[in-house]
Amino acid sequence: MMALVAPVSALQDALAAENAAIFGYGVAGAHLTGTGQAAAEQDWTGHSEARDQLVTMIARLGAAPVAARAFYQLPFAVHDAASARDLAAYLEDGVTRAYLGLVAVSDQQLRGFGALAMQGSAERAAFWRGSTQAFPGLQGS
Amino acid sequence: MLAASAAALPVLLAASGCRSADAFAGPDPLAGPPSPAPDVLTLQAVIAAEQALIRLYQAAIGTSTRATVQEHGLEALLAQHQSHLTRLRSRLILPAPTPSASASPAATASGTPAAVGIAQLRAAEGASAASLLRRLATVQPGLAQLFASIAASDATHAMVLGG
Repeated sequence: MMALVAPVSALQDALAAENAAIFGYGVAGAHLTGTGQAAAEQDWTGHSEARDQLVTMIARLGAAPVAARAFYQLPFAVHDAASARDLAAYLEDGVTRAYLGLVAVSDQQLRGFGALAMQGSAERAAFWRGSTQAFPGLQGS
Repeated sequence: MLAASAAALPVLLAASGCRSADAFAGPDPLAGPPSPAPDVLTLQAVIAAEQALIRLYQAAIGTSTRATVQEHGLEALLAQHQSHLTRLRSRLILPAPTPSASASPAATASGTPAAVGIAQLRAAEGASAASLLRRLATVQPGLAQLFASIAASDATHAMVLGG
């Protein structure tokens, strides 16, 4: 049986993943054009809104939200549209894993919030990857 | 009474109106199998729903044109649902109940699969994702995470099916 996760810790992990995604989409968007670039901009906006929501939620719990880093080490070189799409899928996978942590807290509303956020990031990952996964967010998916 | 043998104890307990559970700590061996825990019941229901979804895909693949199956990647989606079922079953110690024929949404009484369209699959995927989310609140964290992951997968299926 998995132990319950502390809400603030899980929210901070989600915020950290959103911050990384915002940075990463900035890189990916620079290598995309047309509908791909428009989708990247839309996703960047969505992650920015999610970040703001998480900051508010963490502050309400009396904690200081983790700050975004100035720079994030990319998992691989991004030099064209294909690698930009791969990066976007990678970022969304990370966001999905982070929100999965929220599903393990005892607060029922936070569980639902995390699960819904997982659906959004899994859909975006499927869009960028061009295929779906059996177990988004879980190892061996 | 001090001379009463162990063999005579159940008789004495019965005569006094006591059941064995009143005299001994632990489960009562005379009361039949214990009731399944709530998580087990939930898991059984989710497994049954996953099986129904698999039958729906099998019917869709069996009654659609090859072009439709390939265009929507139905075989790949079916394979992911079979993975869901395997993972769900691995969490269950008890054998899952055999679903009744009436639970099948895709089979007629004669066993001939009814035609299943893409819109029906899309609706079933959306309903499955929503149902799993409703179950999150009452289960243990690890099971909630598995349900959430499967729900996310189902949501992506609905998306690629045009949802």
